[in-house]
Amino acid sequence: MNPHAKLICTVSLIMGTSITISSNHWILAWTGLEINTLAIIPLISKSHHPRAIEATIKYFLTQSTASALILFSSMTNAWSTGQWDITQLNHPTSCLMLTMAIAIKLGLVPFHFWFPEVLQGSSLITALLLSTLMKLPPITLLLLTSQSLNTTLLTLLAISSTLIGGWMGLNQTQTRKILAFSSISHLGWMIMIISYNPQLTILTFILYTIMTSTVFLSLAQIKVLKLSTLLISWTKTPMLNATVMLTLLSLAGLPPLTGFMPKWLIIQELTKQEMTPMATIITMLSLLSLFFYLRLAYHSTITLPPNSSNHMKLWRTNKTLNTPTAILTALSTTLLPLSPLIITML
Amino acid sequence: MTYFVIFLGICFMLGVLAVASNPSPYYGVVGLVVASVMGCGWLVSLGVSFVSLALFLVYLGGMLVVFVYSVSLAADPYPEAWGDWRVVGYGLGFVLVVWMGVVLGGLVDFWKVGVVTVDGGGVSFARLDFSGVAVFYSCGVGLFLVAGWGLLLALFVVLELVRGLSRGAIRAV
Repeated sequence: MNPHAKLICTVSLIMGTSITISSNHWILAWTGLEINTLAIIPLISKSHHPRAIEATIKYFLTQSTASALILFSSMTNAWSTGQWDITQLNHPTSCLMLTMAIAIKLGLVPFHFWFPEVLQGSSLITALLLSTLMKLPPITLLLLTSQSLNTTLLTLLAISSTLIGGWMGLNQTQTRKILAFSSISHLGWMIMIISYNPQLTILTFILYTIMTSTVFLSLAQIKVLKLSTLLISWTKTPMLNATVMLTLLSLAGLPPLTGFMPKWLIIQELTKQEMTPMATIITMLSLLSLFFYLRLAYHSTITLPPNSSNHMKLWRTNKTLNTPTAILTALSTTLLPLSPLIITML
Repeated sequence: MTYFVIFLGICFMLGVLAVASNPSPYYGVVGLVVASVMGCGWLVSLGVSFVSLALFLVYLGGMLVVFVYSVSLAADPYPEAWGDWRVVGYGLGFVLVVWMGVVLGGLVDFWKVGVVTVDGGGVSFARLDFSGVAVFYSCGVGLFLVAGWGLLLALFVVLELVRGLSRGAIRAV
């Protein structure tokens, strides 16, 4: 891609995110969201493949609809209460519309249909940006207004997201789509706890960002786009495949890895709030996603793929030093013993 | 006066209907013109005359002119007007949806959105939005820069999407 265009897009992404997460006025929050949407459009379509163009169009249409709904909800609230403060969203119609708008922006069920297809149409690094950076502003808006929103609706969105994220991910062979459904199901966990303890939502989001970034960066290094490529990628960097396995199991939420921390704390908080059936349901639904994480982990560490023996050894190696991936891998597998420290920081 | 504002509102919806019923762009742009003129009149009735003038200039004088020029370069051999059955079907569908919404929802009673409010701001209404523009250029210069960057970004994004004659996103299909 043209370096100048790439620079403008990258700077605008950072600028748009910063504007939204630091704003107190709805108009400024909306402006940041629109700048983000505009800036990532060329990044999704940069390969100029018809699938990428279709993904770009889908992303643009859904995000614009959601931004319009955010604008409507803030204007309705301003009309009836006379102020534009994000934390003072009191009008019931505004709260409902905002919940739906953020659900569209994040890709929560039943507005999740665009997300796997947009991720499939973009490159692995753009998919990383779409899953992590572009989720930060909408989650911030939801956190700021979380006390006014309808708990039943949020719980419904959360349970159905975990269900659909786990169930639909079972039949996928393309890694980007698998990670899309994993993202949907993690968002379900985040939304579940937002009315009771928003700090846990922030914690879940940060840990999810670290773990997903690790997976995306590792897969980008070995250029793995589908399961069959993952099967024979161990010859390029055997150590990376081992760490990919650990990171995937961390995403699945297995102790003693980091991914267990948010799930554990969320279940504890839900139980304290007398929501034990919900805690049980959401934990059971995470078993569905555990299956496809296990399948990915198995494919990444298996060393006897159905190939002839002269394909086993790869003598042309292209090992580049990749420090961010290494740091993120360490974080996404070993943070669990630090949970007492992290809880006091919340 | 009330009836005039209601008339403006009805003509606005008719203009929007004329666009949404998907005729060929040559006829759709008539609907856009009607809708924007009625919208500007509506804004004046609410008291913000300068914003209405700005909308008129930018929308009709800027965007519609550019749109008309680009549409005139891509001609339709058999353009669909409002007499064709497909367009009539779209129009009836939209009328039905809006009618159902109004009947089921009610407007002011259910949503309690309230009536037009006016903050005191001086002798004439026109002063309120002039002072808003002044604030935009002085104390609110941060938002001015952000909005300016957003518009510039839209231009760059469009240029990047159509860069390259047959390699770009908009290929000759």
